[in-house]
Formats: sequence, structure tokens, C-alpha cells
Amino acid sequence: MRNPFKDPTLSDRWFNRLVVGAVALGFLLLVAVGIVATSTILQNQHQARWVDHTYRVHRVIARFGVLEERLEAARRGYLLRDEPGLSTTFQDTAREIEPIVAELRRLSADNPRQQANVNDAAELAREHLRTLTHSVALVRQGRRAEAIASFNTDESLPLIRAIRKAANRMTAEEDRLLAIRDAEQRASLTLFFVTLTLAGVLLVIVASGSLWIIAHYTRSLTRSRDALRLLNEDLEGAVRERTIELQRANEEIQRFAYIVSHDLRSPLVNVTGFTAELETATKRLARMMDRIETQAPGLIDEEARLAAREDLPEAIGFIRSSTQKMDRLINAILRLSREGRRTITPEPLDMNALVQGVADMVRHRTDELGIEVTIQPGLPNIVSDRLAIEQILSNIVENAVKYLDPDRQGWIEIRGRTEGSRAVFEIADNGRGIDPKDHERIFDLFRRSGRQDRPGEGIGLAHTRALAYRLGGTINVESELGRGAIFRINLPVAFMVDQGTLA
Amino acid sequence: MNYHQPVNIILIEDDEGHARLIAKNIRRAGISNGIQHFTDGTSALAYLHEAPDGPTHNGPALILLDLNLPDMSGIDILGKIKAGSNPLKRTPVVVLTTTDDKIEIQRCYDLGCNVYITKPVNYESFADAIRQLGLFLSVIQVPDLPEADG
Repeated sequence: MRNPFKDPTLSDRWFNRLVVGAVALGFLLLVAVGIVATSTILQNQHQARWVDHTYRVHRVIARFGVLEERLEAARRGYLLRDEPGLSTTFQDTAREIEPIVAELRRLSADNPRQQANVNDAAELAREHLRTLTHSVALVRQGRRAEAIASFNTDESLPLIRAIRKAANRMTAEEDRLLAIRDAEQRASLTLFFVTLTLAGVLLVIVASGSLWIIAHYTRSLTRSRDALRLLNEDLEGAVRERTIELQRANEEIQRFAYIVSHDLRSPLVNVTGFTAELETATKRLARMMDRIETQAPGLIDEEARLAAREDLPEAIGFIRSSTQKMDRLINAILRLSREGRRTITPEPLDMNALVQGVADMVRHRTDELGIEVTIQPGLPNIVSDRLAIEQILSNIVENAVKYLDPDRQGWIEIRGRTEGSRAVFEIADNGRGIDPKDHERIFDLFRRSGRQDRPGEGIGLAHTRALAYRLGGTINVESELGRGAIFRINLPVAFMVDQGTLA
Repeated sequence: MNYHQPVNIILIEDDEGHARLIAKNIRRAGISNGIQHFTDGTSALAYLHEAPDGPTHNGPALILLDLNLPDMSGIDILGKIKAGSNPLKRTPVVVLTTTDDKIEIQRCYDLGCNVYITKPVNYESFADAIRQLGLFLSVIQVPDLPEADG
């Protein structure tokens, strides 16, 4: 199974970077295509304006040609019939020529070639106008015949032809520009469409790439989640298995302790029994010595007297105290093993009342020694085994009373809090304290710490820890020599039956 | 007729030392009845049921039984003796053992044990308990009277 918690491998990291880079590049390209498309459109608009301009020039050139023709026509008409209307038309048209030419000049300012054409046309137009104006003036003065004669000889006809040509040249020039501008506009339009197509293709690529990546990550996420769930279920199974193993080991130890303590007791009964027999016999012997000493002192030597009066009683005394101690130890092991086999019956406990009860049990001692016992109000209530909790607490409180520092006013404080699903109780005192190197040792069976000036076998704390483990809890100590101690009991807020497995 | 027959004391105990201490204290209490000592369950059961001078065929008895035996548990022996069909089921049995486990004590009483004595390491109380048996011996002869008459 692939481990979803493992660091991504080198190739994975490279792949991720590549993917991110590709997506970023795709989006950058899209932005670039957008910019190109925008600029193409702007350029296209610009070109359209120029095409428009060309058409305007076309119109103006046409207008110019029309005006010239109309001028010519008006003059001819006037030559034939002296009508004041015709003269007015001529005058009006002649006035329009100059602005048109100026307009042409202005419009063709960007094109020197057209400018030259315009200048030619303007020159011709001026010449033509002059000729015509002269002819019209002759008619107005009544010299019609002279005017008609000059009409046949003057330059107006070639001039009008030249003007037509000039207009054609200008138109041709504009046509040439129009062709160029049209081509340019078409090219930019093509560019725009190519860009658009490119953008479309890019969009499809980036979108499908992104979709693929999302799908890929979703797939691997799902895989990871499935693996995680599997692992979780495995973990629960592993814990259950381990719990069963521990319970079995625990039961074995309990049985072992029970058998050992039992079988140790049997020879001990003999030792104590025959020691008592010996004692009785020794007493008889001593009495016998007394009698002999009074009746026949010469029969007793010093060695026999010492043996009966001192050596034997001394030996018996040591055997007795040792067997008594051994009996206490065996009883302790028995008690522990029995405690380990006791069924835990969880029930809701009012911890304030329970702790008060524990404090009341040692009240006569604390009052006597002037120890101040404080119980923090509002201790967290838990669901656990009443007897076990009472034993744990009273053991620690009794220790606090027992190992008081006689040099200062003693105090004991019992406090508690919840931490998630755990309840933590602390029993703090200002007693003689425990050397940090003994912090683990004091929880071992038959091990004690510090001055051995108080009675005890080193059983209480071992018992306490075994009980705490059975309740699914832990117990530890925080202390320094001469600075008091804090015993901390961490218990589940609600005891589950398969939780007490570590006893 | 049984009235005149002395009660035999049958001691089933694998530990020689314990057996000796028990016997000594019985004598010290002024009891002179015969004591038969067995160190394993098999031979003890054989004697109880089959021996011509055993209790099944010959007179009343008091059984002192240790629970820890090499070949079987004293509880098994107790169960056999107190079984409904056993002719010895009315024979008083005193269980002597080192344990003071309440469950085990209860079990012995359930099976029909008459007295349960723990062997305390404190020898004086042990000796006392054994000497009390002297009183007990005089009591157990009483139920035999109507049987003798009948």
C-alpha cells in the first residue's frame, strides 16, 4: 500500500512543478493572445479610418471635377444667351472652387505625391478660372462676338481636359492608396482571426489541462482519503489486538503473582512454626540452666550458658522479624494480584464529595499535625470505579501527611481540571519532596525514596499506579527535594470497559 | 457401638513440616486419637474408600485437608468426599490452607467443608486453631449416636 503520509518523492515534486508551470504558461499565453487581439482591433479601426479618409478624398476630387465642368458649362451657356441666372451660377461656382482646392490640399497633406497633383490641379484650375472669368467679363461688357471668338481660340478647352486628367491622376493616386489600405485592413483582420483561432485552441488546451489536473488531484485525494481510512481502521484493529495481548499478559502476571505468593507462604509457615517450637524449647532449656546453676553451678560452662541465654534467643529474634517482613511482602503481592483481578465497576462519581471523604479519613492526623487541607471547588466529575479512585487518592494524601516537612507549616491542596476527554487531578503538598532520580522508582514495588524514617513496605504507590493503569489512566510526580511534590493523576472522564488494559 | 469407637484423624498434607506442626499441636491439645498422614491425594482417597481400617469400612473419622497437593487439588478431594453418593459425605472435613481468598473459602463451604482454617504465618494463632479441634472432635461424635441405635 502506498503511504499517503510519506513526503512527496523527487519525481512527484518535479511533476507538480511542471504541471503548475504549464498551467501558468497557458494562462500567460491567453493573456498575450488577448493583448494581441485588442491591438489588432485597434489597428483595424485605425485602418478603417484611413480607408474612410480615402473615400472622402474621392468625394472631394469628384466634387472638384463637377465644379470645374459646371463652371465651363455656365460660361458656355452665358456666351450663347445673356441670362443673369447663368452669370450668378458662374459666380457661385467660381467661389466654391477655392475652398474645394484648399480642402483637397488639407486632406492630402500626408501624401507628397498627391500634394503635387493637387498643386497641378490648383494651378490649372486657377488658369481655367482666369480664362473663363475673362470670357464672362467680355460678354458682360457687351462684347459677345469677341468673347465667342476668343472661346474658339482660348485655352479653356485644353485646360478643362488637363483638369480632367489631373482629377483622374488624383483619383488614381487615391485608388492606389485605397488598394494598399484595403490590403492592410484585410491583413490585420486575418491576423485578428488567426489570433482568435489561436486563443480558442489555447483555451481548449489550458481548460482541458486544468480539468485533467483537477481530476488527477481529486483522484489522488480520494486515494489518500481511502488509504487513511484503511489505516485508521487498521489502527483500531491493531489497538484492539494489542489490548487483548496486554490483557492476556496481565492475567498471566496476576496468576503468577498469586501462585508465587501462595507457594512462598507454605515454607514460611514451616519457618515460623518451627521457630516457635525452637523458642519454646529454648525457654525450657533456659529454665533448666537456671535450675542447674542454682543446684550445681560447676556443671555449666560459659559457652553453654551463652548459647542458651543469648545466642539462641538472638537468632530466633532475627528469624522472627525476617519472616514477619517476608509475610508482609507476600501479603502485598497477594493484595496487588487480587486487586488486579477485581472487576472494575464504573459509576458516576461526585469527585468533590469523594475527595472530601478522603480528606475526612485523614482528618485526625492532619488536625493533630496542623496541616491545612484545601480542596478546590468544582472538581471535574468522572465515571469510574469508586473503590479504586478512593484508594488512589487516599494513598497519595496519606503519603503527603506521612512525609511532611516538620520544619514548616504543612499544607495539602487537591485540585482538578478537564483536558478534552481526560480529567487531571493534582495533589500538591509542601512536604519533604522526592529526588528527581527516584521519580520512577517510587512507583516500583518495594522501592522507597529518601530517609527511611517512616514505616512502610514500598507498596502504596505501586498499588496506586497499578490501579490508575487499570482505570485507563496514568500517574506521575513532579517534585524536588525539600520543595514538596505534586502527584498528577490523569484519568478518562468516562471509563470504558475495554480501556483498563494496562494494569 | 460407634460411640465407643475412637475417631480417626486423617491428615492429607503434602508438606511434612506442616503435617508435623499440626500433629504436634493436636497432641498438645490433649487429643490422643490416631493420626493417619498422607502426602498425596491418590493414596489418601484409596485409604478413605478402600482400606479395611479406613473410615468407609471402619468407624468415624475427621479429615484434615490441605488444598495444595502435588497430584490433585484439595477441592477435588473435597468434592468427591461430599458427593451425594459417597458413604463418607457426613464425615467432617476441615480445610487447612495458606490462602485467605474469600472466593476459595466460599467454594469450599459450598462443596460441604465443615471448617476452614487458614494457616497463618503467625504461629500462635495457627496452634490455637488446631487446638480448637479438640473441642470439635468431641462434638462430631454426637451425630453417630442415633445411627448406632438405628
